Amino acid sequence: MSCRDIRETISACVDGEASPGEAASVREHLASCERCRTLERQMRALGDGVRQIPGKVPTRFREAVFARLESEGTLPKRRKAFPTVWRWAAVPLAAAAGLGLFLLTSREAVREPSPPVSVQGTAAALSTEDREMLALFDILEDPADLDENDDAEGMDLLVPGGSVDAPSRPRGGRSGA
Amino acid sequence: MLLFREGSREAFEELFSRHHRAVVRFAWRMTGDPSTAEEAAQEIFLRIARAAPTYQATAKFTTWMYTVARRATLNYLRDTKEDGEKVPILSEGEGEDGVYPVQLPGPDDRNPEQVVWESQLTERFRIALGELPEGHRAAFVLNRGDGLSYEEVAQVLGVTVQAVKTRIFRAREMLLSRLSKDLSA
Repeated sequence: MSCRDIRETISACVDGEASPGEAASVREHLASCERCRTLERQMRALGDGVRQIPGKVPTRFREAVFARLESEGTLPKRRKAFPTVWRWAAVPLAAAAGLGLFLLTSREAVREPSPPVSVQGTAAALSTEDREMLALFDILEDPADLDENDDAEGMDLLVPGGSVDAPSRPRGGRSGA
Repeated sequence: MLLFREGSREAFEELFSRHHRAVVRFAWRMTGDPSTAEEAAQEIFLRIARAAPTYQATAKFTTWMYTVARRATLNYLRDTKEDGEKVPILSEGEGEDGVYPVQLPGPDDRNPEQVVWESQLTERFRIALGELPEGHRAAFVLNRGDGLSYEEVAQVLGVTVQAVKTRIFRAREMLLSRLSKDLSA
């Protein structure tokens, strides 16, 4: 077979597309033809040349394609990560969790001893007007003043540390005033 | 593709992830220009998505995909003749004896000088590839670049296997002829 006749078969052989019979013919020819051996090497190299052209994927290529598809309505919408029911449930669940956390921390705070209240200090901080008001309450809550109308029953709760039968102060004075 | 046709977005995302590199590469090799290739590659995926409702799994998906890709790429080429049969006739005696005075790097040539020379050659090669008739370029790129068999290339281009064999051989001849001129100039 002449060089001209076999060149197309050499090309197919390079691509692995020659039949076994064709491949055998090519091998036989190449064994005796330096020129066609060079051509065969060049043909192989051209295939490498195609693969040298990079074809790098542009940045944001995916975003661009998907945006165009979505804008024309060709692509179905992305499925939500959580179904609607769970999204609505998420709000009260988060609120309950927050409340629970608050309660837990509050209980911890109550267990801590509170600082003592200074009565004297409080009294000292009162204005004259406040003292007069307190004095008025004191008069009203004096069981001795209520005895006469039998109103003293049950008032022992109002008397600090005492009973209506044991008046802590002498009677008279103010009632007669 | 069938899942996407049934409305699965995830199926299209998977399809995109698997094939977008190949699509971009094909468009780049066919157009020879990165920005044109990007536009073409976007168009390819739009066409794939639009074709889903009528898609029939009669052939391998990749064969169908390259058919879509090739048609979409045609619109971005200056010379949009479908089968660009403007095959330049080699001048008298040129390539007649199968001798091309061009040295091309083989797989074992990996020294630094060779790499520099290779990058220059790659650029010349890209230009020469762009000057091939579209039908020949597509056949050569699909076979050598994307690994499609002659049979698959024939399906994509809608021609016979023998026609593919001839186109690829002619593409090689034209590339060698062009590169020989470039490098001897």
